[in-house]
Amino acid sequence: MILRTEGLTRRFGETTAVADLSLSIAAGEFFSLVGPSGCGKTTTLRMLAGLESPTAGRIELDGRDVTDRPAQDRDTNLVFQDLVLFPHMTVAENVGYGLARSGVRRAAREERVAEMLSTVGLAGFGDRDPTELSGGQRQRVALARALVNEPAVLLLDEPLSSLDRTLRAEMRGELRRIQRDVGTTFLYVTHDQESAMSMSDRMAVMCGGRVVESGPPAELYDRPRTAFVADFLGDANLLPATVRGRADGRVTVDAGGGRFDAALGGARGAPDGRVTVMVRPEDLHLGGDTLTGTIRDVEYRGAHEEYTVALDAGGTIRVRSGTASRAAIGETVGLDVFDAAVVRREDGDGDAADPETARPEGSR
Amino acid sequence: MSGATDRLRRRVGRVRTQRGPALVDAGLAALPTLLAVSLGVVPLVLLFVESVSPPVTIENYAALGGSVYPEIMIRSLGIGVAVTLVCLTVAYPVTYWLAHRCPGRYRLPVLVSFTLPLWLNYVVLNYTWVWILASDGVVNAVLTGLGVVDRPLDLLRTASAVGVGPLELPGLSLGLGFVHIYLPYVLLTMYVSMERLDYRQVEAARDLGAGDLRVFLDVVVPETYAGAVAGALIVYARIAGAFATPQILAAPAEQMIAQIITTQFYDVLDYPFAAALSVAFLAVVLAGFGIGALSTDVRAALKRW
Repeated sequence: MILRTEGLTRRFGETTAVADLSLSIAAGEFFSLVGPSGCGKTTTLRMLAGLESPTAGRIELDGRDVTDRPAQDRDTNLVFQDLVLFPHMTVAENVGYGLARSGVRRAAREERVAEMLSTVGLAGFGDRDPTELSGGQRQRVALARALVNEPAVLLLDEPLSSLDRTLRAEMRGELRRIQRDVGTTFLYVTHDQESAMSMSDRMAVMCGGRVVESGPPAELYDRPRTAFVADFLGDANLLPATVRGRADGRVTVDAGGGRFDAALGGARGAPDGRVTVMVRPEDLHLGGDTLTGTIRDVEYRGAHEEYTVALDAGGTIRVRSGTASRAAIGETVGLDVFDAAVVRREDGDGDAADPETARPEGSR
Repeated sequence: MSGATDRLRRRVGRVRTQRGPALVDAGLAALPTLLAVSLGVVPLVLLFVESVSPPVTIENYAALGGSVYPEIMIRSLGIGVAVTLVCLTVAYPVTYWLAHRCPGRYRLPVLVSFTLPLWLNYVVLNYTWVWILASDGVVNAVLTGLGVVDRPLDLLRTASAVGVGPLELPGLSLGLGFVHIYLPYVLLTMYVSMERLDYRQVEAARDLGAGDLRVFLDVVVPETYAGAVAGALIVYARIAGAFATPQILAAPAEQMIAQIITTQFYDVLDYPFAAALSVAFLAVVLAGFGIGALSTDVRAALKRW
């Protein structure tokens, strides 16, 4: 493990920004910390960079305890949210700054700066002023400035948030390519779950200063353990359900007026009684017979259509369907469920009702 | 009716809403402009006319080269530069702390306390140092009382004797008096610049391996030097041309240019020569000001002030 934290905690007066955070990140990994704003992800990053001191806990970098080391003596580099390029220095001076501080001679420095600039696609831009560059180019300079020092871990604080949609998509691909090329461990912080999922090898979803769940993006998206993660990573229908049977890590549930199978996900043991089931809108198919309902609303979304269906058994459910199979408002439809997962539902205090000891919905 | 008037009328019609305020603006600008010309430009012209009289001669300027005058002018400018540097040395860490390290709620009280010396008469400020540094003053009373020294130290009006020829550092009392009076101007000017320094730049430099000194040289100075130069320009000429402070706190050997000019006006009654001294000093000071203000960054900082 190149980076490990144990019980990392940061309090500001009465409020706890980060609580008992433990992470392990392997060398060469692209790891993302995602969560809504105010969840403590940026504070975590600043502690890892050495710009903020933890109230408690320890940080280990490449096997060495660096908890009390200041930023300048730490083998991490940070790409700031607003980039914070030095305005009075040229692009090459910006990129070469870290090398100069670690005592690399001018000739060697210039060589490595030129090399890094071409890695990020800015060959020949060395003599420019950062202010002359476009947003995307400045991103690349900021990235090069941090990467050129070959840090053990590169920390990125939502560097793409200021870009427009197209540029962001392009830079996502670029970040991934650059990370593969240089092989540096990336720790990426963002509130944009889409960016995180598309780039990361693994990710951790944070809420209220804690990591709620972590794992590979596909696993978290398809098999979330908590309703929070299910909801945060994408559109999710959360249905109250009753467990009817169990086999091979799957359970059969009654929900929304029908019976279907759901993955048990991370839940251990055999739940019985009431649970919550998550169904992604794209895992529902118009024209089956598992669930029945009436179409209340249709939204055209370009590549697909999004239906709001009032179930006969009560409640509404969102369905995503290709534009080939069309249905009109008011039409009665049947639905098939391709995939579903049992999740834990958390109340306001963050207390989780485990499927193992699930109580009826009404008892909370 | 001519086409020009027509066009004017059309324009006036179009910008009718702007015409009233434009007149008001002109009216508002007229008074300060009038004051500036009558109280600033006219006296300077009169001073210059006086300096080349009787009728028209450069004799007065020729006499500047003789006697002790060049030496006194150099000494005055040297003291101006030295005191300004001391002010900057104090202002840099203090304003950095205030703008970026001081908790927000203490910032305003501290800033106001910086300006306290500006509220007092500067003659009074100068005399407080007499009271503190005199042979029977506070410092000597404490030192002799504690038995640290047998005899009172010569703290007041003692030249420093550190320097080359006329370029000599000011003595303790003169230096303290100057710093006390002029530091607030430098602090306020520097603070405006320091507040505009993005603290994350400091963090970025640290993150890239810069220690305190490198952060200061690579980030803080380039981002704030304009404020420092602006502050220096504001005070250095006033220090070099000060009258009351050297009169009250300088050693006899530390005579400065304003004292010489006053002597020429009031005691020698050689008005033309006094005027020539004044004009020459003004020219030297303006030259320094012009060089500093060549930088657009410095001009911007001066405007902000």
